[in-house]
Amino acid sequence: MKLREFLPRGYVFTVVGIAVGVAGLVSLGAMAERITRFIEGGDRFVLGQISVAGEGMGMGAGFTAGGLLSAAKIREIAAVPGVSGVQAQVMLPLNTSTSNFMTLTQELVMGMDLSVPIPNRNYRELPVASGRPLRTDDRRSAVLGAEFAASRHLRTGATVSLGGQDFAVVGILEKTFTAPDRFALVPIEDARELWLRRDPLLVQVFGAGSLRRGDLNTGAAVGWSDGEDPDAVARRIQSTVTGLNVTIPGELSRLLRQSTAFFSALLLGIGALGLLIGGLSLANTVTAAVFERIRDFGIKRALGATDMALLREVLGEGLRVSLWGGAAGVLLAWSIGTAVDARVLRDGQQLFLFSPRLLTFALVFSLALGALAAGYATLRIVRLSPAEAIRRGS
Amino acid sequence: MLRAAGLSKTYAGPQGVPVPVLHGIELEVKSGEFVAVVGASGSGKSTLLNLLGLLEPASAGEVWLGEERVSHLGRRAQARVRGASIGYVFQSFLLLSGLTALDNVLLAARYVGRDRALAQRQALALLERMGVAHRKDHYPPQLSGGEQQRVAYCRAVLNRPPLVLADEPTGNLDDEHARVILAELRASTAERGAAVVLVTHRPEAQAGADRVLRLRDGRLV
Repeated sequence: MKLREFLPRGYVFTVVGIAVGVAGLVSLGAMAERITRFIEGGDRFVLGQISVAGEGMGMGAGFTAGGLLSAAKIREIAAVPGVSGVQAQVMLPLNTSTSNFMTLTQELVMGMDLSVPIPNRNYRELPVASGRPLRTDDRRSAVLGAEFAASRHLRTGATVSLGGQDFAVVGILEKTFTAPDRFALVPIEDARELWLRRDPLLVQVFGAGSLRRGDLNTGAAVGWSDGEDPDAVARRIQSTVTGLNVTIPGELSRLLRQSTAFFSALLLGIGALGLLIGGLSLANTVTAAVFERIRDFGIKRALGATDMALLREVLGEGLRVSLWGGAAGVLLAWSIGTAVDARVLRDGQQLFLFSPRLLTFALVFSLALGALAAGYATLRIVRLSPAEAIRRGS
Repeated sequence: MLRAAGLSKTYAGPQGVPVPVLHGIELEVKSGEFVAVVGASGSGKSTLLNLLGLLEPASAGEVWLGEERVSHLGRRAQARVRGASIGYVFQSFLLLSGLTALDNVLLAARYVGRDRALAQRQALALLERMGVAHRKDHYPPQLSGGEQQRVAYCRAVLNRPPLVLADEPTGNLDDEHARVILAELRASTAERGAAVVLVTHRPEAQAGADRVLRLRDGRLV
């Protein structure tokens, strides 16, 4: 089939009209997808582990805000029945001048005890897009989150300054669209070093000799054995080991969903708005295009076209035009989204996520609505006599 | 060949006031006959042609084509009759601007299920006969009025319909092009035995007709 036959003549403006509508739908959808992935990613992370911190208001940050979690406590936790592994962690805000409470997506330095496997069931290992993961014998090495690296134009092999100390970038994580994108993962010993360097109070406590290096943990990720109920294990830890802040995965997930309820509502609004704007634009454009050709349909009926023949013809054209318009709209939205993201990525942000399910939905939506609109317009037209159709279209 | 009995048409005017246009038309046209219909503007000539050609429904009366009462057929059957048995030539040509001259002619074959290759050979022969074969790949806006009407005529007779209805086919043409179209309409009665009903103002068209019918205020006089 020639290209000209695939795109019926005289439909260029119709295609442009549909493309604008679909571009609106896809752009809004891509923003909604981005927010959805962020919320889902966070939920997946907290449901994959039990997060534990020391009692009280500590100096840590991130998921395990609380008091110091000593090595002794970590050993006690590991002995609780149902616990499969405990990984000590140190989470520090990279920029201490930014309030932890004012930012949802702050950049964090996350020190991990690499001598034990990651206990998070949903992230057995953080996927590395380039370079390699951290190893147990690494020091002054870092694996960076995708946005952390992109916003600084860092690649594997580069050097990054964290808290005034240089680290070799040995790997870049795959984009997760959630918290780890803004992490700098380092060996826990390096994170402890950074912590001591920046916190005078901690230095005094540490200098008094009551603490050892292994006690400098802002928290721990705890895994559970197969067949165990994570909430039950978390409550067992809470009741067995004193002096802990234990987050119950189910409760945390619920809390997370409550705290992101605004985003969920926003998401629904964006989605509805996208469907409304894109759908109305597309349906209106296709209907108008069919009505514009009312004279042609009158002529065709005068030449013997039956209602069904016309319906088939118009549906075929409607589908082809909608497909062109849908594809052009997707391309337009993708181009604009990519250009905007390239600009905002400098600040470590990404606004759009053009997921395959969104693009597939946009195309199917275009085709279905295009066919419906074309069918509706045709049914209106075939009610007219051929002479009336010719008169109205002339 | 063509017979109309008690044919009437009333349109709904503003505020639903009925506007009668044709009153009880009785008409018979034989195969091979060339009939001209004349009358003042608004006398109902075009409406009569529309009713005879099943392009709009009559308010009352019947239209027969041969032995078939076509005015009372269903929509699908009427579409079949329009495609296979009636050819139309309109004053404003009514070609589809998105199709080439050849495709416009072939449109007549599309809806009657004809073999496309055979129809294309006949379409090219007709375009050749009408002197526009060299313009077959041109779109209507690229053609002159005379050329468009010749293409429209080819479309009207491609399926060799037994009835040809022509509504002021020379109204937008100069004398030379008008003569060509009228000669072809005349030839279709002589060569194929088609019945032709022509609405016209041209005296020479009336002179060449077998019969001239006069319409006045919706009545044949």
